[in-house]
Amino acid sequence: MNKQLEFRSVAEAQPGAKWQALFDHHWPAYERWYLSETERERPGYLACYNALSRHMPELLPTYERLCELAGGGDLASRMLSLYRPPAYITGCSQAVLANAHANLLVRNYDYPPELCEGTILASCWNGRRVIAMSDCLWGVLDGINEQGLTVSLAFGGRTTVGDGFGAPIILRYILEFCETTPEAVEVLARVPTHMAYNITVSDARGRYVTAMISPDRPASIRRIPVATNHQKKIEWYAHALASETLIRERQLSILVADEATTEQRLVSAFFAPPLFRRDYRRGLGTIYTAVYHPEEGRASFFWPGATLAMSFADPREQQLTIHYGSRTQRAAEGNRTGHYNE
Amino acid sequence: MNKITSISDVRRYFHNNKTPIYFVSATNFNLLGIGDWVGNFRHINYIDCFDGRQKNVFVPKEKFPRDFESIEDINNYLLEHKEVIDFLKTRGGEGTATFLMFDEHTEEVCEQLGLKVAFPPAELRSRMDNKIETVRIGNKVGVPSVPNVLAKVDSYAHLQEVSAELGTQDLVIQSAYGDSGHTTFFVSNEDEYYKYAEEIEAEPEVKIMKRINCRGSAIEACTTRCGTVVGPLMTELVGFKTLTPYKGGWCGNEMFAGAFSQEVRDKAREYTFKFGEALRDEGYRGYFELDFLIDMDTEEVFLGELNPRVTGASSLTNVAAFAHSDVPLFLFHLLEFSDVEFDIDIAEINERWAHPDSIDSWSQLVIKHTDESIDLLTQAPQSGVWKMAADGSIDYDHYSYHPHAAESEQEAFFVRISGVGDFRYEGADLGILITRGRLMDDDFQLNERAKAWIEGIRGQFAGQALQDPVVEEVAVSHAIGGGNFKIL
Repeated sequence: MNKQLEFRSVAEAQPGAKWQALFDHHWPAYERWYLSETERERPGYLACYNALSRHMPELLPTYERLCELAGGGDLASRMLSLYRPPAYITGCSQAVLANAHANLLVRNYDYPPELCEGTILASCWNGRRVIAMSDCLWGVLDGINEQGLTVSLAFGGRTTVGDGFGAPIILRYILEFCETTPEAVEVLARVPTHMAYNITVSDARGRYVTAMISPDRPASIRRIPVATNHQKKIEWYAHALASETLIRERQLSILVADEATTEQRLVSAFFAPPLFRRDYRRGLGTIYTAVYHPEEGRASFFWPGATLAMSFADPREQQLTIHYGSRTQRAAEGNRTGHYNE
Repeated sequence: MNKITSISDVRRYFHNNKTPIYFVSATNFNLLGIGDWVGNFRHINYIDCFDGRQKNVFVPKEKFPRDFESIEDINNYLLEHKEVIDFLKTRGGEGTATFLMFDEHTEEVCEQLGLKVAFPPAELRSRMDNKIETVRIGNKVGVPSVPNVLAKVDSYAHLQEVSAELGTQDLVIQSAYGDSGHTTFFVSNEDEYYKYAEEIEAEPEVKIMKRINCRGSAIEACTTRCGTVVGPLMTELVGFKTLTPYKGGWCGNEMFAGAFSQEVRDKAREYTFKFGEALRDEGYRGYFELDFLIDMDTEEVFLGELNPRVTGASSLTNVAAFAHSDVPLFLFHLLEFSDVEFDIDIAEINERWAHPDSIDSWSQLVIKHTDESIDLLTQAPQSGVWKMAADGSIDYDHYSYHPHAAESEQEAFFVRISGVGDFRYEGADLGILITRGRLMDDDFQLNERAKAWIEGIRGQFAGQALQDPVVEEVAVSHAIGGGNFKIL
């Protein structure tokens, strides 16, 4: 087993040629995914437009601009709304450490490497600079804006699917239009999600929450600094076992509760089991570690043997190739072939 | 324009029309040529029968194989499609929408898109479309139906009991809603009953008719605030095995001055006028079609069913001589739903339209795939004018979008429905042929010319057998699962 993935950071203030190139590159795969349950299962364009207009109206001009760059077609526009997309699951661990000595959000993204876009997008679409790991072409897996608001998502471990949006678009909406955790909370309580997700939010003042959002019940928003892949009690035992969600949550909870935990200690924990996972065969291996520093407005992405740093002052365009193997050694060796393009 | 008081006013009013008027439907067949009369008229269709050559037809490019459940479903899909919405915006975003079929959801979407629906509300249309309601409205105003009883049926014994007053075992049973032979059951004994028992007993009420020796006929009309304008009585082509796999299924019409006796024609016109007035009392306005059953033994005229809408026969009603000397019937519909005031002498128009000289002869054939086979079309005849040689072979003559382009009985105008890359399955609409003159003889059998055209057109289609069992399974489920929609 040896998979590889290109990661690249792309800086483009307004949607333009670079975003269009990303769209063109990824669209064939997204089209297959979007049609996976047949086209009829996906809502029509008007329903998608209406849903965005009702729940995230401020996002419409950007959405329309991106649809235009995507060729203005019906299917691509429907997919880009992320309104009732096909269901999908991920792993993920995330934790906030916010105290007198530290303010950071760290997360591992556990997912099949071949399904990850590998794009870190630095943009300023709505007058606010945002750096985020992209998903679904403009959605956000995790990210930060120039006010220091940071967000990260983890699958909520429930099979329920309903009427709502894919979480990445909700995270994009938060980063584009919110400054603080309370503002983000308001969005998370209001915008419907189509699947269960645990969203961790933290801001420059160290205010943090984890929102457990679901299509079938009101969001549970509490001042919890860690999240893995279950909401309160376990509902989907097979997934919980395969993803070791309880073990990871316990490890993180102990770490952040310990006053001796430093930034470095927390970040390092994400590089080792049980948080760092090598279950690539089942699509639950760790693809990257993201570390966000809300006060300083910077983001770092880590792989065994490689890092990529970005800040609002210096949103450098870089590229590197990551090899995923079942053994750490192999992964590290693979990273030596990675190269930077500036 | 202040007030419309003459036919020339009507012509000028629509000629100068600026607000977009749309016909949203699977194809543009039903309202072929209306764009010649109405400024800014556009068709929004799912199937491009004219391969991009007909400039007032808009068909979204991006489409996926999809099982539509009904014509309403197609129309809703179209109206929610981004390309259609963008198209509407480029034309100013407002306008009037017309349909064959629509439902409450269509109404909501139209409201959002700024389109006025030029029909009575879907709820009212649906009530009018109920065959049992049709009987009641007819009874109220003296338009008789074939002797019938309306009842809920639980068993064959129960059927016999409730239909005793009809005095016969030969019965025809219809459910409240249904089309073209799908929900009409011929029952004369217990065995026949059990073939359909499940469907019959599932209905809360059915119409049980005495079976008569009848011919089907169709007449279109439009009820307006000034009265009901009545078109000519047409014969119906029903259930021909060379055209349709559905027993009792509609497969075409003929329009000619001498269709049925003068007495029958007068009676049908009188009934249609009365029914139109009754419809207006019910709150319905605009275009509608009535089927009459003409008893061949007694020449009695019975109300068959009501279609409160534009229909498959509209393509003929709107092309005949009377339509061209005055205006097509459909323009009265648009007028009724326009904001302009009008006061037109409808009686005078009806008198003129009833005159045999007003009715030139036209016929149409709806050609479906009648075999049980399934294949993928690799060749299909294009739409336009086709010419028949003396030996019965046919050739493409030239492109046109208008039936009038077929000038003689040796020519026919063909609208291609199924094209290259489409599945050809039992019941699939292949296309519609419109020609001058008759296609049946006086015994209501297809004449030689009709048979030659059917054979000629079928011969222009070629398909590739499906070897791959997976593809075949998809094709079969497509055909059975409701992907096939019918042209009504």
